[in-house]
Formats: sequence, C-alpha cells, structure tokens
Amino acid sequence: MIPPALVTLLISLKVALCATALILPPGVMLGLFLARSDFRGKTIVEALSTLPLVLPPTAVGYLLLRLLARTGPLGERTLGFDLDLLFTWKGAVLASSLMALPLVARTARVAFEEVDRRLEGVARTLGLGPVRTFLEISLPLAARGLLAAAVLGFSRALGEFGATVIVAGNIPGRTQTLALAIFSEMQIGHDRQALALAGVTVVLAFAAVWTVEILLRRRARPT
Amino acid sequence: MTSEILLDITLSLERFRLSVRWETAESSLGIFGPSGAGKTTILEAVAGLRKAEGLIRVDGRTWLDSARGHHVPPERRGVGYVPQDALLFPHKNVLENVMSGRRRAERAARKGVAPDRVLDVLELADLAGRHVASLSGGERQRVALGRALCSGPDLLALDEPLASLDPALRRRILPYLFRVREEFAIPTLYVSHDATEIKTLSGEVMVLAAGRAVAFGRPDEVFTDPSILPMTRAEGFENVLRGVVVAAADSTAIVEPEPGLRIAVAATDLVVGNRAVLAVRADDLILATERPAGLSAQNILEGDVREIRALDPIEAPGGAILVSVTLRGLRAPLIATITRRASGRLSLREGMPVFLVCKAHSVRVLATR
Repeated sequence: MIPPALVTLLISLKVALCATALILPPGVMLGLFLARSDFRGKTIVEALSTLPLVLPPTAVGYLLLRLLARTGPLGERTLGFDLDLLFTWKGAVLASSLMALPLVARTARVAFEEVDRRLEGVARTLGLGPVRTFLEISLPLAARGLLAAAVLGFSRALGEFGATVIVAGNIPGRTQTLALAIFSEMQIGHDRQALALAGVTVVLAFAAVWTVEILLRRRARPT
Repeated sequence: MTSEILLDITLSLERFRLSVRWETAESSLGIFGPSGAGKTTILEAVAGLRKAEGLIRVDGRTWLDSARGHHVPPERRGVGYVPQDALLFPHKNVLENVMSGRRRAERAARKGVAPDRVLDVLELADLAGRHVASLSGGERQRVALGRALCSGPDLLALDEPLASLDPALRRRILPYLFRVREEFAIPTLYVSHDATEIKTLSGEVMVLAAGRAVAFGRPDEVFTDPSILPMTRAEGFENVLRGVVVAAADSTAIVEPEPGLRIAVAATDLVVGNRAVLAVRADDLILATERPAGLSAQNILEGDVREIRALDPIEAPGGAILVSVTLRGLRAPLIATITRRASGRLSLREGMPVFLVCKAHSVRVLATR
C-alpha cells in the first residue's frame, strides 16, 4: 500500500511534468513569434498571451469548466463524445498548462530576443533554410533561456491551485496535487501534515531551480 | 572565366534614397566610400538580407527582379557573406563554423573550395578545435572568410573585413585576402573605405557617396581622379602597384609593374616569378627636376607631370600640393605630395619631365603570391 502523501506527490509530479511537456512547444513557438515578428495587432497577441498571468486563476478555471461542461462549446453534447477532462488528472494538466503559458512564452521570447538576428542572417547566406537556421542557430543559442522557461513552467504548474481545483476537483488519490492537499489538510486542522507537504514543495521547487543553475553554469563555460 | 554582375537597385534609407546601377564583366569589384554612404546596404541587398527594388544578376542567375516579384531567398543565392564584425556562431568551434555552409557547397554547381585548402590558405588548421570566444580579431576575420569560402559561393561579399582591426593587424590580414583572390578566383564584392585595400584586391571600383555612384572604373585611375582623390586622403594617399618579382638578392627585390619599369623593394620574403602588390605613400615620394646622382635611394623613376593640384587647406593643413606623375608604360599616374614652398622652388609645370625618387625601404609589400 503506497502512503497517500506519496500518491499526492506522484500525481503532482505527473501533472507538472505533463503540463510542461504540453506547453513547451506552443510556448516556445509563441515566444519566437513574439520575438521575431512585427505586425499590426501584435500588442493584442501579447496582451492575450499574458492574460492567464494576471487573471484570477479561479476565473481561468471557471472559463475552462464552462468550455468543457457537457453543454459547453467543447462538451459532450456539442462534440458528440466526451473529452473526459473534467475532474481527471488530465484536466489538472490542462488547467496548469494554461496558467504556465505566459511565463513560458515570455521567458522564451526574451531568450530569442537575446539571439543576434544577424547571426540568423549569416546562417541563411550559408545555405541554411529558415527551419535549419532555427534548429542549428536560434534554438541552441536560446537553449539556456528555453531551459529556464521550462523550469519556470514546471514550477508554476507544480504550484497551480485555483484553476486546477475548479477543473479537476480535489479528489485524493486521483486529482489531488500537493498544492490542493495542503489546503485540504489545513482545512481539517491537520497542521503537521500541511506543514510537511509544504516542506515537500519547497524541496521540489528548490531542486528544480538548483539543477538548472548547475546546468547553466556548465553550459556557460567555454568548451 | 567570364563573369557578369548587374546591380540595379533602389532602396530607401533613413537619410537618403540609395540608387545604384552597375554592370560589369570584371569579377573582383570594390565598393568605396565614406562611412554611411550605403556600402553595407548594397552588400546586404545582394546577400538577400535586405529588401530592395530592382535587378540583381550574377553570372547569368537572377537573384532579384522586383518588377516580376522575383526574390531568391538568401539560402539559395550562394553569397559568401563576411560581415564587418565576422559574426561567428558562438556555440560552434572554429572548424564547425567553417563547415557551417558545407552542405550547400556539396549540393551546389560550384562546389566551393575544399575545406582542407581553405584551412591551409588561411592558416586555420591549428585553430580548428578552438572556441571562437578565444580568438583574436584577425583570427575571427579569417574564420569568417573560411566559413564563406567553404559554403560554395558564387559570389563573395566582404564588408570591410579589415576595418575592425588595428593598422598593424590589417597589414597582416590583407595578404590572406589577396591569396584568396589569386587562388580561388571567386567573383568578389569588396566593400571598404580604405583605397589601398581596394587597389590591392579589386579590378574595378564603384565610388559611393550618399547613396549615389559617383565614379566607376579601374581603381588606380579612379583614385587618382581629381574629384575622387580627396576622398582617399583620410589615412594618407598610397600609390599601389602590382607587378612580378624579377629579381631578389641581398635583402632587396626588384618588382616590375610593367616591362622596363623596375622598382627596388627592401624585402626578403619575395620570390622571383611571384606576383606582388606594392605600396608607396605619396608623402614618401621625392620630386626632382633633374636626374639626381649620388643618392642612397635606389628608385629613380622618370616621368612627366600630369597635374598639379593644391589641396584644400582643410584637408591638408599647411598647404600641401599633390603632383601626379605619369611614368612611361604605366596607365595611372603616381601621386606625390610636396609642400607649397617646394613646388614654388621647383617651378613645376604640367607636362614637365621629372624624376620620382624613393627609397627601397619606403616601398612596402602589401601582398604577394
């Protein structure tokens, strides 16, 4: 029998890792788009992509809930089948991904803005098409910043509460993550358990950030 | 090898509208002009990195024909572009940088130069594994040049490759550029605000001022043109002569720019039969109205005064006089600077026979191959 606290930890890690994996490709592409394109209405895209950062998480969660409800635009009745996201761990992944998107996209944007565009130009003159220029020049040069984006996204997903509790509920053993469990334990007066869980989140977050610091330092050294 | 370059481009810059037309069968071209004249802009348009209106055709291939909406992207043009600040890829080592464009070279009709040859000619083999952050300015430029050469270019576009280097280093890197020109015979657009570099490397030059071409032609003729000459004065005018080494002994070599015209050079690294590019500063040439005797100077060249021109006092405080002298057998004149006082004392007239005197030590070897 696995202790319930361990189950909560595993669910948290599963949700945060899946959310990071889910949000990284679109977040990086959005960051690249914001860094490299220039068009009328770009500020609107910027504002929209920042929205989850400034909205109350419960508002984001509630909008997701309405979207995914049986009668909502992405509900069973409209689609003809059930996406099976509400009150599942996948729903938690979706909610925390959305909440992590602005951090990932903004950090990725800065990472790409720090890459000298003229290096990309030189790569083009050497015969590298836009895709290979991205893969061989922009991506490796932005790698550190993108790694930072991933860790920030992971940490944000790990700590997500408001949107998750609305979309996925707070079902122990199924959708209850560390952030949700701390709240539950505190509510029923289990202060020691709440404190222990909070301690686990500190260790996890610290480990993530520290690992990246070490990785970055190794990378910064000339080879 | 016949090569044809046609540039007919127009584009708007912040301060002026750049508009040039240049059609030539010469394959090593120089673009000369002061900073901000639009030289870099032209190179960027040729490389496909900047939008322009008009027509760009190199060696029978059309890269830009805006009237027909034809715009070949940079990766399919085959321009070996060397920007002023080298722009090496910081995450790759020297060899990886040099090989960055190799894939194109292997697909291209013109395979480019074999990497081994490039590493050899540019003396990069010893640097191959080095991280680019540890390179000196001159090394960086050589790596950037090697990277361009290995990418199978149909045209080399060099943007002031020596401008970021100090004068001593410039003198050391110029021979590499000359070697590239002599060894690989790739059509080249060489941008510089240094007339000596262009005279060394280019067969034809366009002089650019505020986005307009103000002169075209052979560098030795263009740069001695009275309307262009003042633009070249920034670092002192240098006469540049190309010739063949015909003798070398006792730390002195003899170079013949034209049959019968022999220049003594104090140099030990010249090899008989090789080509050499020589430079003599206009300030180092002495004028005499009679053949001097009993001099240590080994070069006494006979010619006629073609033109006497007083320099603007703003350009030359103290009132210098530029005297251009036509030597027998040489198309373009040599330029000597003398003081107003000396000019009066010699009572120089146009058409008058004179002798140019110059020490073998005042002749420097810019490049040899």
